[in-house]
Amino acid sequence: MANRNLYRTNQGLRARPGVLIVLLILLGTRSAVWGQTQSAGAGDSLAAWGKIVTVLQHPRCLNCHQLNSPLQGDSRRMHIPHVVRGADSHGVGPMRCGNCHNDSNNLTSRTPGAPEWSLAPVSMLWQGLSSGDLCRMLKDPARNGKRSPEALVEHMSSPLVLWGWNPGPGLEPVPIPHAEFINLMKVWAAGGTACPK
Amino acid sequence: MITLNVNGESHQLDVSPEMPLLWAIRDKLNLTGTKFGCGHAMCGACVVHLDGEAARSCSIMVGEAVGKRITTIEGISGPVAEAVTHAWQSLDVVQCGYCQSGQIMSAIVLLNENKNPTDEDINLGMEGNICRCGTYLRIRRAIHQAAKALA
Repeated sequence: MANRNLYRTNQGLRARPGVLIVLLILLGTRSAVWGQTQSAGAGDSLAAWGKIVTVLQHPRCLNCHQLNSPLQGDSRRMHIPHVVRGADSHGVGPMRCGNCHNDSNNLTSRTPGAPEWSLAPVSMLWQGLSSGDLCRMLKDPARNGKRSPEALVEHMSSPLVLWGWNPGPGLEPVPIPHAEFINLMKVWAAGGTACPK
Repeated sequence: MITLNVNGESHQLDVSPEMPLLWAIRDKLNLTGTKFGCGHAMCGACVVHLDGEAARSCSIMVGEAVGKRITTIEGISGPVAEAVTHAWQSLDVVQCGYCQSGQIMSAIVLLNENKNPTDEDINLGMEGNICRCGTYLRIRRAIHQAAKALA
């Protein structure tokens, strides 16, 4: 038995040329992407921002980057029932975010959910900002939770942010695929986090 | 098997962790004081307490309640609960009664957090508890009366 397993292992990639080809293609693609992010200039950075901002202004993100009360749904209406930020950004009294929202989407009650469901900090108020102002806020460590561009990229894969791509029934996911969004963030960062006026 | 601690007692339930807590409470444990009103966390009839915080059991899943103290209307106790239920009784708040378990559960959490709520605090705290009979004025008065009793 042991010999047979060793035999299979030793066959490896040489016995599976299809797998080898796919691996080479993936490696090639990855290094092309990495090469692109490494060599991104200010122009690439600005172009990337033009797409990044459409994600940040999408309802899945903007609805909770509000001042005192979240918006709700693709129509961005007032959240029903009425809820407010409270001292810790998680609501007040018997109307706290976690009183209704779970750590994951509830398909029965159709309540969306993700870990740490809450309003974004007041420093990350995005409602009403122009693309340029939003860009400058996003890269400002004083307002973005002390994040470097690299940390910002990492933040875009945290569970609550990821929810935007899997929001549950009745809600449009962020239209740009997440992997593409991360790549855009990397290009934006590598090219100097360029912002429009 | 999922273990839930409800009103101080441990229960083993053969249910999915995604089942709304309300269904487990009513259908499996026969605790029917908590009501189904809308199923969408909008009306407040289903409010219970999880570790002392309000939880809309039609929306909170059983899995999220594991390891926490679940308290239903049948199991409330303590000075705040007594002040609230006494005020509710003395002011004859209840009409049909369907929403009132949820109203009381929410009012207890409100007063636990804020011993002397203003009308605005009551508006924000009780915003999610709907009453089709329109007993809102009496609910507000009862919360103020309970707050005075607790002072």
